[in-house]
Amino acid sequence: MLKKDLILKSPVEKALGLENITKGQFGAVLSRAGVGKTSFLVQIALTQLLADQKILHVSLDDHMDKINLRYDEAYTNLVDYIGYVDPQKAVRLWDDISPNKVGISYTESTFNTDKIRDYLKSFKKADLALPAIMVVDGLNFDEDLSSTLEELKALNEEFSIFIWLSMKSHREEALSKDGFPVQLEAHKDLFEKAVFLQPVEDKIEALILKDGDKTDQKYKLDPATMMLVE
Amino acid sequence: MIRDLKRVRNIGISAHIDSGKTTLTERILFYTDKIHQINEVRGKDGVGAVMDSMELERERGITIASAATHCEWNNHDVNIIDTPGHVDFTVEVERSLRVLDGVVLILCSVSGVQSQSITVDQQMRRYEVPCIAFVNKCDRSGANPVKVSTQLKEKLGHNSVMMQLPIGLEDKHEGIIDLVTMKAYYFEGDNGENMVEKEIPQDLLEDAQNAREEMLDEASLFSEELTDALLEEIEITTEMIMAAVRTGTISRQMTPVFLGSAYKNKAVQPLLNAVLNYLPSPLDIENVAIDMDNNEETVALESVFDKPSVALAFKLEDGQYGQLTYIRVYQGCINKGDTLINSRDGKKLKAGRLIRMHSSQMEEVDAIPAGHIGAMFGVDCASGDTFVSPQINYSMISMHIMEPVISLSIVPKDNKAQINMSKALNRFTKEDPTFKTYVDHETGDTIIQGMGELHLEVYVERMKREYQAEVETGKPRVAYRETITRKAPFSYTHKKQTGGSGQFGRVIGFIEPCEEEFEFVNKVTGGKIPTQFISSCEKGFLACMAKGPNLEFPVTGIKVTLQDGGYHAVDSSEMAFQSAARGGFLEGYAKAKPVIMEPIMKVVIETPNEFQGSCMGLINQRRGIIQGSQEEGVMSVVESQVPLSEMFGFSTVLRSGTQGKAQFTMEFSSYKQVPMSVAEEISKKKADEKAAKNK
Repeated sequence: MLKKDLILKSPVEKALGLENITKGQFGAVLSRAGVGKTSFLVQIALTQLLADQKILHVSLDDHMDKINLRYDEAYTNLVDYIGYVDPQKAVRLWDDISPNKVGISYTESTFNTDKIRDYLKSFKKADLALPAIMVVDGLNFDEDLSSTLEELKALNEEFSIFIWLSMKSHREEALSKDGFPVQLEAHKDLFEKAVFLQPVEDKIEALILKDGDKTDQKYKLDPATMMLVE
Repeated sequence: MIRDLKRVRNIGISAHIDSGKTTLTERILFYTDKIHQINEVRGKDGVGAVMDSMELERERGITIASAATHCEWNNHDVNIIDTPGHVDFTVEVERSLRVLDGVVLILCSVSGVQSQSITVDQQMRRYEVPCIAFVNKCDRSGANPVKVSTQLKEKLGHNSVMMQLPIGLEDKHEGIIDLVTMKAYYFEGDNGENMVEKEIPQDLLEDAQNAREEMLDEASLFSEELTDALLEEIEITTEMIMAAVRTGTISRQMTPVFLGSAYKNKAVQPLLNAVLNYLPSPLDIENVAIDMDNNEETVALESVFDKPSVALAFKLEDGQYGQLTYIRVYQGCINKGDTLINSRDGKKLKAGRLIRMHSSQMEEVDAIPAGHIGAMFGVDCASGDTFVSPQINYSMISMHIMEPVISLSIVPKDNKAQINMSKALNRFTKEDPTFKTYVDHETGDTIIQGMGELHLEVYVERMKREYQAEVETGKPRVAYRETITRKAPFSYTHKKQTGGSGQFGRVIGFIEPCEEEFEFVNKVTGGKIPTQFISSCEKGFLACMAKGPNLEFPVTGIKVTLQDGGYHAVDSSEMAFQSAARGGFLEGYAKAKPVIMEPIMKVVIETPNEFQGSCMGLINQRRGIIQGSQEEGVMSVVESQVPLSEMFGFSTVLRSGTQGKAQFTMEFSSYKQVPMSVAEEISKKKADEKAAKNK
């Protein structure tokens, strides 16, 4: 079945395991600017869509149209990666699952968890299934985000929605003794999972910083498609 | 009328609701001396803007019907059609774009590109109409014309180029800087009628120079002369720049952007100059027709007065003096008394009184030459008809018309209302091809159909005011469809042979889903079904598409392949094969997993940020799918797809959930299969209605 094949080939399934993606509270994808945090987060969300779950993608960087475009591209990359797929079948599948994705675009100053709470409440009111995960892309972890993280934690507890965040690290900063970028170090107790993306030669290396028994595992990704390099 | 067509402009003014179109047109008419005072659209003096001639338009503060007017500016004849911005009246915009040569696209300097701007842009693309943009309301708090120009690029894919910069914004908006002449312009006098040229303020000079460089870079792509002048750093004349920008605009590769505030009387005159400088004349646009006498070959029409006439009827109005037909003449000249042929039905007609329109006032003229827009009295025709001189048989491509998506039953309150209602419906349906009416033979109800709740609301209101026909309205009904989801065979024999002449026909084949509404493929060989009966088979299949076997909704998306069959030498007939085909269709249909489809609407909500979450929630509660939400300044835009059946009364709910601050637009998107639970509800309702009728 196409859905199953796509999930199995997803770099996220290999690196994190599908069943792990939604367990707990927070997950983080870290890297320097431009390495591929958003693309990897989109692949995480895509596995949920393929598992017939809803997802909510909140971006403080991208316009809503760009968010949707990223998902289209990520899906296409995954389909191309598994080899020949009947194009009509692939299109039909995307038409089926893409409506389960909602993209919301904010700026740093207008991002506010109350609006997200109102939206999530409406699912309960309408007796609809809640999104399995929420991606929050673009929070600036160089600033003090303690209160924002508390609010997000409250959302997680109220709606059982796992939250994946992007964290931008900087080249010149030293890592902590555990090998964490400083942005994660400050909040490491909150995060059950963390993936650190770094360019290595002409590939991207995904290092699992936190994830139970997968910790310290490394995977090589194609920078253009974020697919695993065999 | 000016005969030198280089000095004629036929333009439309299009935009999203409340961008200021009608106010802008009012200002244009004032400055070109057509009217002597300015009346605000929602003014305190109780008089609405001149362009909004219908009472309802003035009351609601929206433009409903397109009004045509003309004016003169700098020795040019400018014909303007003011068009509605609301999606429910898209047919008016489509009609106008079909006959205009250029468009002024108005955008609000705060809200920028909004949902209806996108619809209007799609329409402009369909008819390949060049446009210039006017960023209006620069006096509003939050005005940002540069951001709007960027949105034109990002959201509509235009190559937008700023041709002006503002001198002050919001309550400090004083004038504009023209980047072509590199002068500042202020607007003095009680109504800003005196345009005063001054030097650019020192503090804005650097920005102006940078913006001018960007503009020249873009414009130079359309002029070798300008490119050479830039490279060789020789003098760049105003004429050089204007010629380049004109070329870019007419070829639709560039959209020059102007700005100002119509309400505050700022920068309307430069916009008028831009219309003359950058929008095409009738001579710049190639118009084509089809030669019906020559295998429908495309022929180019020439804007010359001595060739046979060709004109397109694009709007009808039934007034107290009879039907008024608005026409655009593309070739030749229509003189009073000329004999013309309607190429749709071949009927001869005489061009009686010819008039030129100014909103609701008429000016009688002797002729309407090529390149101009006017109107004829007393001609019986339909919107979209082509009129030609008797010696040719051309037809222009007709306009793209959308199918209605919503219907409503109406019941007149008394006998008098019944008669008046019929008159009203007769007129409205002639004027507007997206407004339809019929009598439901089963219930006897009169049903009206249209493009949205507002569309029908306006006609019900007009019936009351203009025809004194008060009607009660029923619950709106959604235009469901039926279709099949898989291939299914049929093998059906229609046989009535009980002595005397009988009937016999056998059809064998299959039906399957397809993208088209209906497709018929004949693969019968060896004369199994005589050739003369094949078309009867097709007729029979087609007859079943009108009312689905299950729930009697129109059927769509079916391909029928006829592979085999049988006939009787005596008893086979056209009637027999039609019946056989109907039987075959029903047999196949039952096995083909039929489903019900419902219209899905694209719903775009614009709301203050604090209500974003609850607006998304409202969509969620209506089986809607949110495609995304974007914050833009103090407002959020929520885009979604929602079934039409869930949208009734939405405006009230949205208003109360957002303190009246949010607004939404809705337009047809596509048909989609209904969920199982909804299908069951629909089936049950139909069954109940049938049972009630049979009692």
